Amino acid sequence: MAIAHSIQSIGFLTAFSESVLVYPIVLSIHLACIALFGGMILATDLRLLGLTFKSLTITEMVTSLRPWKRAGGTIMIAMGLLLAASEAEKYAPNPFFWAKMIILGLIGVHAVIFRPIVYSKTEELDRSPVIPTKAKVAAILSLSLWTAMFVMGRLIAYWD
Amino acid sequence: MLLQNAIGDTLNNTEWAFALAECVHIGGFAVGVGSIALVDFRMLNLGLRHETAGRILRYTELWTVIALLFVVFSGVALFLSQADIYRVNLVFPIKMYVLAAALIYNFTVHRKVATMENPPPLLSKLVATVSLLLWVSVVFGGIFTGFLV
Repeated sequence: MAIAHSIQSIGFLTAFSESVLVYPIVLSIHLACIALFGGMILATDLRLLGLTFKSLTITEMVTSLRPWKRAGGTIMIAMGLLLAASEAEKYAPNPFFWAKMIILGLIGVHAVIFRPIVYSKTEELDRSPVIPTKAKVAAILSLSLWTAMFVMGRLIAYWD
Repeated sequence: MLLQNAIGDTLNNTEWAFALAECVHIGGFAVGVGSIALVDFRMLNLGLRHETAGRILRYTELWTVIALLFVVFSGVALFLSQADIYRVNLVFPIKMYVLAAALIYNFTVHRKVATMENPPPLLSKLVATVSLLLWVSVVFGGIFTGFLV
């Protein structure tokens, strides 16, 4: 709790959470990123499952959207951490916040496991006559993790 | 009126109902706007270049429509649960006007240009930029409705 208090007492974070305009602007950017870049994650996962975008190769889908997903994800996480840090005392005891952070960690684990065998091997996936199971597993796990992340984010507001 | 009260009461008296409606509203928004943004990114030449914007639109439009229907229905339910607050809110009517503009724009100008055989590149980019700006404005309107009462 002491740590949480010190974090949110950092000058600019206090000014931030007390500002009428800045807090909702940062929250809006956080949500706009969810829409813009969440759509890209969804599209990539659906392509890996072979459900849509079939005239595009998996390689095209994964590589052409990658820089945007990276940029969007970075902004989204930066804005999210800013929101949490500015109200650290409120977030610290909130179980949904920690659940969300654990899921964020699991998304990192997902990347470490599946990048070398799926996302960096898209040409191999495109050559395969059927989409390999490992790609479908990666897609289903990605969809589940991001959905859980999203739901936890919303539930943070409901815990008291 | 009766229906309004019934929906409003359910959302106000059931602990999880409001949270669920909000999740559907925001999740639907993410899918709906995210699918439109894919078309916009293509029109801006920022990704998926091996396929035409028209084809991307065909792939995504069913998703867009279904998701936006979820957004509108959950949005109406959320509105009815606190109708008195929204009626006096300063930002809410602006959000509704921008939303109406975004919806009309999406299914007229945006659709038309996205499905053109050889649209002038500048026109495509302009139309996609306006589309992104409109939808991001709706997000800002939604958040500010909750913050500036």
